[in-house]
Amino acid sequence: LEGEGPGKQRVVILGGGTAGWMAGAALVRMLPHAADVHVVESAAIGIVGVGEATLPHLRFYVESLGVDEAEFMRATHATFKLGIDFRDFGSIGTSYLHPFGSFGSELNGVPFHQVWSRMRAEGRGEEIFAYSLCNVMAANNRFAPPSTDMRSFLSTYNYAYQFDATLFAPYLRRYSEARGARRTEGKVIGVEQHSETGDVAALRMENGERIEADLFVDCSGFRSLLLADTLKEEWEDWSHWLPCDRACALPCAPPPGPIEPYTRATAMKAGWRWRIPLQHRVGNGYVYSSSHISDDEAAAAITAAVEGAAMAEPRILRFRAGRRRRSWVRNVVAIGLASGFLEPLESTSIYLVQGAITQLIELFPQGPITNSDRDEFNRVTDYEYDRIRDFLILHYHATTRDDSSFWNHVRTMAVPDSLAEKIELWRRAGRLQKYTHGLFLEPSWIAVYIGQGIVPEAWDQRADSYEASALAGAMDRLRARIAEAVRSMPDHAGFIARRSAAIELPA
Amino acid sequence: MNERTIRSVAVVGGGVVSLSAALAFAHALPRARVGLVETPLDPAALADLMPSTLPAIARFHARLGFDEVDLVRRGIATHRLGTSFEQWSADEDPWTHVFGDYGLPMGPIGFHDLWLRGRGANGVLPYDRYAAAAMLGNAGRFVHPEDDPRSPLSTYRYALRLDVQAYHAYLTDAAKGAGVAIAAGALGEIERREDGGIAALRLRDGRRIEADLFVDCGGPSAPLLSALDDAFEDWSAWLPADRLLIGESPSDLPPHPLDKAAAVSLGWCWSIPLSGRRAFGIAYACGQTDEARARRVLGREDCAAAGEAVSLRPGRRPRPWVRNVLAIGDSATALDPLHGTNLSLAHSAIERAIELLPGRDFHPLELAEYVRRTALETARVRDFLALHYLRSGRAEGEFWIGLSGRPLPESLARTVEQFGVRGRIAFFEEETFDKQAWVAAMIGLGQRPRHPNAMAGSVPEAAAEGGMRDLAERLAALPGQLPPYSDYLARMRRS
Repeated sequence: LEGEGPGKQRVVILGGGTAGWMAGAALVRMLPHAADVHVVESAAIGIVGVGEATLPHLRFYVESLGVDEAEFMRATHATFKLGIDFRDFGSIGTSYLHPFGSFGSELNGVPFHQVWSRMRAEGRGEEIFAYSLCNVMAANNRFAPPSTDMRSFLSTYNYAYQFDATLFAPYLRRYSEARGARRTEGKVIGVEQHSETGDVAALRMENGERIEADLFVDCSGFRSLLLADTLKEEWEDWSHWLPCDRACALPCAPPPGPIEPYTRATAMKAGWRWRIPLQHRVGNGYVYSSSHISDDEAAAAITAAVEGAAMAEPRILRFRAGRRRRSWVRNVVAIGLASGFLEPLESTSIYLVQGAITQLIELFPQGPITNSDRDEFNRVTDYEYDRIRDFLILHYHATTRDDSSFWNHVRTMAVPDSLAEKIELWRRAGRLQKYTHGLFLEPSWIAVYIGQGIVPEAWDQRADSYEASALAGAMDRLRARIAEAVRSMPDHAGFIARRSAAIELPA
Repeated sequence: MNERTIRSVAVVGGGVVSLSAALAFAHALPRARVGLVETPLDPAALADLMPSTLPAIARFHARLGFDEVDLVRRGIATHRLGTSFEQWSADEDPWTHVFGDYGLPMGPIGFHDLWLRGRGANGVLPYDRYAAAAMLGNAGRFVHPEDDPRSPLSTYRYALRLDVQAYHAYLTDAAKGAGVAIAAGALGEIERREDGGIAALRLRDGRRIEADLFVDCGGPSAPLLSALDDAFEDWSAWLPADRLLIGESPSDLPPHPLDKAAAVSLGWCWSIPLSGRRAFGIAYACGQTDEARARRVLGREDCAAAGEAVSLRPGRRPRPWVRNVLAIGDSATALDPLHGTNLSLAHSAIERAIELLPGRDFHPLELAEYVRRTALETARVRDFLALHYLRSGRAEGEFWIGLSGRPLPESLARTVEQFGVRGRIAFFEEETFDKQAWVAAMIGLGQRPRHPNAMAGSVPEAAAEGGMRDLAERLAALPGQLPPYSDYLARMRRS
């Protein structure tokens, strides 16, 4: 178009849910000269749309769209999220908040949790969560944005959003269409493949229309219309490790009192339930294993658990843990549920969508698609999925619960070797397998290990080089500093009310 | 009490690597007994011999409480911004490889994406002309980086070059000060434990050294580790230089912040300006070139000053930590001196060993994490060096002919392919050289992607070229505002 260089790639995004419109918005924003974006969606197919809790990475997605955060939060009725409050996972009656933040700070290169381990062995200090600014903020329902000065103590945490997913996709649709994305509403009744290459050539629509493209982004959800149905990519099943295969969602009116800046996950007899406070309602749902409890029992359990008036009938969703072996095959890139599913215990669904979009943009073809690019995309996707999988399994496996057949199963099941090694490395002396790319870095693993009762048997011997009283003093000072910082922070609901309220919030 | 505690460490070696290891362990484990058995220096232990390092040396020194200004005043250290490469690429254009930024990114788009798209256009200069450190280095300038992110002087890092003998003496004093017991001696018999580990070392004079942990810094022969495990992973297919002539001579030239690496028909030569002296050498392949010919390439004066030829066996020991024996330096990984990685890799291994220090039972699972990360790190340094041989573009000279046809290690092949599509640098864990460094090497060596990055399209070509022009002008004016490095160094020494 610009005279020289390759022309635009015609991109068809199949599916207009969260994944589809996230991909659409990012492509029109980042590749205005390289991609011609066409979203094909069917109003007859509902969106899953319960992914309401997110991870801090979403901030960068919102920022990269050039969207004002307050406006975005108003449009999606969003609240801030500092972490997830896990209840009854390690054992009934225990709880911990997995923070988007770190614990303490290094002491001459010795990680804080090592110093903490030694002090705890000597019966000193508080639980480790008391040394995380993020945790203390959450416990007090306070919120303020972190400092952007990386040297500041106030930069040691991060945040994400809790929002109404049914408002997110329409918001992105408006954004995308305003920037040139085309949209076709209709039902796909057939997929044409090139006879020689096997590439997808076109979608055939119910109204007779034929939609061609160079690249197809499969955001068709669990149906995986292109990757699975058409290209027959094999399914890798993980349900033996992650047996939850249904969710019963039940939004309710917000109870009186503060809006918590965190998501709550409470372990249940056959799974766990989420509680996500938004501005205008609270999202709830029971994620369970259908071989351990019936749908009716699950619906009854979630109905009994919610704290406000139900705003809908209980809705059952079905899924299965696992993934397609490859996400990019031929000229089809599957993003979101069309590529795989991991249950929402750590709010990873939208993160996986975002990660795939980022990779697609980095590897966006400017000519014929190369094997090198496909391999690279699939390699990155592999380790994203594998790491999240192991981290999720840990939440079920690290437990002493023996009060139901579900917990007996997950407590005693064989876990992947990659996870067994991580746990053993931690158990011996609080070591963490190091990686810098991908999700869930060291503080996350520390939170879940310690929060669910896997405390290291020993610690880094460098922590022994210091006088216990000096360490205790430093730890006390840290707590005082945290308390002081949190005291000066505004209330979460008040902060939203001043900045990004969609509705009138109680002061 | 911590029942895992390692109570004693015995380090074996004859150069700065063993001293560095002993000192670092003594600092990290003040309650442990740390001893050093000083054995004769292996002339092939390049980490003990080469003066150049990488910027990470600042962190290593900080842990030991070393003050850079003190090292400079004592004439031990000078500053290094990078390396200038000559005759390496097909077009033989020189390029400067520095530790720092090339250009300024525009939003999510890398500078190199814009440069690659615009190259060849009127007014677009060689890539290194957009790097402040390269402009300083080529003009013989060095100043310490500034904090202010708006200043072009904040866009780079620097490494140190060491006068190895003086550094050795400095480390020796520091080690003694930290309580390291130093005993000169020659290794005799190794007493083994029942589990295969080492119980004690016998020295030739009959002394017996016991320890919980033994650290083998004894050079490529790995005198301790090889007693337990002699496996070796040979990298010579990818790193063809296996013979070196190394020397030092007095020099009247002013100190200069860039090393020089010049490709010649039978290999490559380095020249590293030190304070009042110059380190130099040649790397070649012994299967092609006899020593006399290599000496002739050095020239008459350097030829006389160079020591005996040193054999290098590029590669690594795949299990550098076995039971209670840890190999560090050339006993773990042997690389030629391109880019000055030798001592810095040893430092990195020391830091990692301390970070992951296992219990006294040296459980295999704990050692495995050390080995895993070490393997990732060393493989990528190997890849980075191998790139300079196998994708140099230089087709002239017996050393170089045929190298470009050799298969690459899998991880390097992926890196080269990915760059070849659109100039992207694939991600790997434990990289020593960051993306900027990889891009600069790729571009310097003449690698060019087939397509521009699709994202670059959102920056109009005229805007990109205007930005490049402004930046180049600013950077070109920079050296004139700064003193020559010799003046800067002299002022540092006086202050």
